Amino acid sequence: MTKLKTRHIVETLVWLLTVVVFFVYSFEFNQEIEIYKFGATGWPRVILGILLLVTLGNFLHLYKKGSEAQHGRVGISDQEEGISYDSIGSVQKLVAILILPFIFSWSLKPVGFYAATPIFIALLILLLGEKRIKWILANTLFIYFLIILLFMVLLNAPLPQGNVSPFYDFSALMLTLNTKLHQSLNF
Amino acid sequence: MIDNFIAGSVALFGDPFTIGIFVFGVIGGMLFGAIPGVSMLTLAAILLPFTANLEPAQGVMLFAVIYCTGTYGGAITAILFNIPGAPENAPTAFDGYPMTRKGQSGKAVGAAVLCSAIGGVTSAIVMMAATEPLANWAISNIGPPEIFALVFFGLAVASSVGGRTLWKGWMSVLLGLLIATIGQDPVGGINRYNFGFSDLAAGIAFVPAILGFFAVSEIFVQAEKKAIGMYEAPKLSLDFPTILELWTHKIAVVRSILVGFFCGILPGIGATLAAFMGYGEAVRWSKNKESFGKGNLEGVISSETANNAATGAAMIPLLALGLPGGALTAMMVAVFQMHDLEPGPLVFYNSPDLIWIVFAAMFYANLSILFIGLLETKTILYLLKIPFQFLAPMILLLASIGSYIGRGLVLDVMVMFISGIMGFLLRRSGYSIPGIVLGIILGKIGEQNFAQGMQMVHYDLLEYLSRPICLLLIVAGSLTLLAGIYKALSFSFKS
Repeated sequence: MTKLKTRHIVETLVWLLTVVVFFVYSFEFNQEIEIYKFGATGWPRVILGILLLVTLGNFLHLYKKGSEAQHGRVGISDQEEGISYDSIGSVQKLVAILILPFIFSWSLKPVGFYAATPIFIALLILLLGEKRIKWILANTLFIYFLIILLFMVLLNAPLPQGNVSPFYDFSALMLTLNTKLHQSLNF
Repeated sequence: MIDNFIAGSVALFGDPFTIGIFVFGVIGGMLFGAIPGVSMLTLAAILLPFTANLEPAQGVMLFAVIYCTGTYGGAITAILFNIPGAPENAPTAFDGYPMTRKGQSGKAVGAAVLCSAIGGVTSAIVMMAATEPLANWAISNIGPPEIFALVFFGLAVASSVGGRTLWKGWMSVLLGLLIATIGQDPVGGINRYNFGFSDLAAGIAFVPAILGFFAVSEIFVQAEKKAIGMYEAPKLSLDFPTILELWTHKIAVVRSILVGFFCGILPGIGATLAAFMGYGEAVRWSKNKESFGKGNLEGVISSETANNAATGAAMIPLLALGLPGGALTAMMVAVFQMHDLEPGPLVFYNSPDLIWIVFAAMFYANLSILFIGLLETKTILYLLKIPFQFLAPMILLLASIGSYIGRGLVLDVMVMFISGIMGFLLRRSGYSIPGIVLGIILGKIGEQNFAQGMQMVHYDLLEYLSRPICLLLIVAGSLTLLAGIYKALSFSFKS
């Protein structure tokens, strides 16, 4: 009797699709290298070949044993077991938590680090379950101040400034203030 | 050697400014290693331009000190938050984090402090005594075939830990190897898998990938638990291990020092493989294999001793051959070049003062882990008391900065978050995140050395195997692999 579930089939299909996409794309750079017999595609194609075989081995395990862990393995992740969603709200919250950092990273180019960061901090704290507005504001300011102090004031690290007004102007203002602070402290 | 060491110590402690740089390196390395989301590499990348204003010895010494203390610092986050500060701390999390969940964080951190110091100090002493003879041995005995063979053996060991099954262990490693093929191929410089993004021509930088797979994915895992009401705050404990407890693991310490030092000597391999192999050997020789991964103190001891034992050894290929063993040692090459120096055999003759200041600084840095580390640890343990909703944004922001700083590309921050989402999904299905990361790190090294080795032996595999060290490593890797496949298949067919 098989222990195969739909998610196991999806998992296997994702791996097979990865192998196919990478293999097909390898023809884009299938060029000979004069000094190396196996060319630019040799190494990735060997990896893909082994990955295909291992995916089939994994499918065999999933077919026979489902998600059961092999005996004697160490450092196993325990995330699959015991995770269940009791409401759509939890799923929506998780999806928002997963997407928010990605939106933040996308916004770094146009908006810049200095303007995007406080909004990101406040929204993430809110999504992680903090409801008290005062706490959200206080911690947002505290974390923002700490990051700015360490990376802008002390370490002078170059961070994205954005390229859209008024965000770019805000970043420029922050950097001007930092320069003035350094000058006044003779830093 | 002793005279040179004393001269190096006097030069180090004779100048207040040099002392200041040393102390900054010790504390900075520990802090950046121990703050989740950033690492010693972040600090090193920020400091790199400033070293142009320092004396060459001060610049190289600063990076060497950060390397020693940062390697230890990364263990703290691995143990407390399941977020290894650097890839070499990944195996520490296998047992360190379960210990934190059981309320034994103090014990795990205390063992990490002591074993990092023991591994590091021993490695520094051997480095001082044996850099020249070891470099001569390595020049004549270690070539691309041996390095490829060691990569193969290391990947075989890595696949045997971390994943829920052998198959998932290997799939993780292979995914890492596949990610490492993105960018220019190491022989002909042909662009591979850039999918139309010109920034990808330089490949996936490993710092964003590591931060994504380790730090961001862990934040997502905990956030998921928070969203469904299953989050449990880790337990704080200041209960350090007793001397007797540590003494019972003395053989593991000695074994890990040997493994760590051997891996550290080889260019490009460094502390990461040392930690994995130290951990793998601890499991292999243990009578109580089942307890590993569930909070066995020996797991923390083996991994932390091995990775710090590799720090001194990693300086041997750097200083004697001019070959960096990892990202941080590569930055040290940049410091040398900023001052019109080239690391390599001549540096011993041209700049002996520099060499001995660096050696002395590494010795004292490893020793200071024991004293400053214990003091700092007691403070860092209180990070566990910060509520997750306030700690998570801080970690994600630090990780974003850490990813961005290296190359100044927003794409790297995106890569980090994509790696985080991938890591989150893969962890849920029982894949090994350390396996993926090791695959990413060793992928390019493996391919480059395989290609060079093949050219050396004129594509004759038998000639590859006629080299004794190469044969030994390939046989050991193959046996590990075959034994794993046998176990996996017999488990699948067992009713």
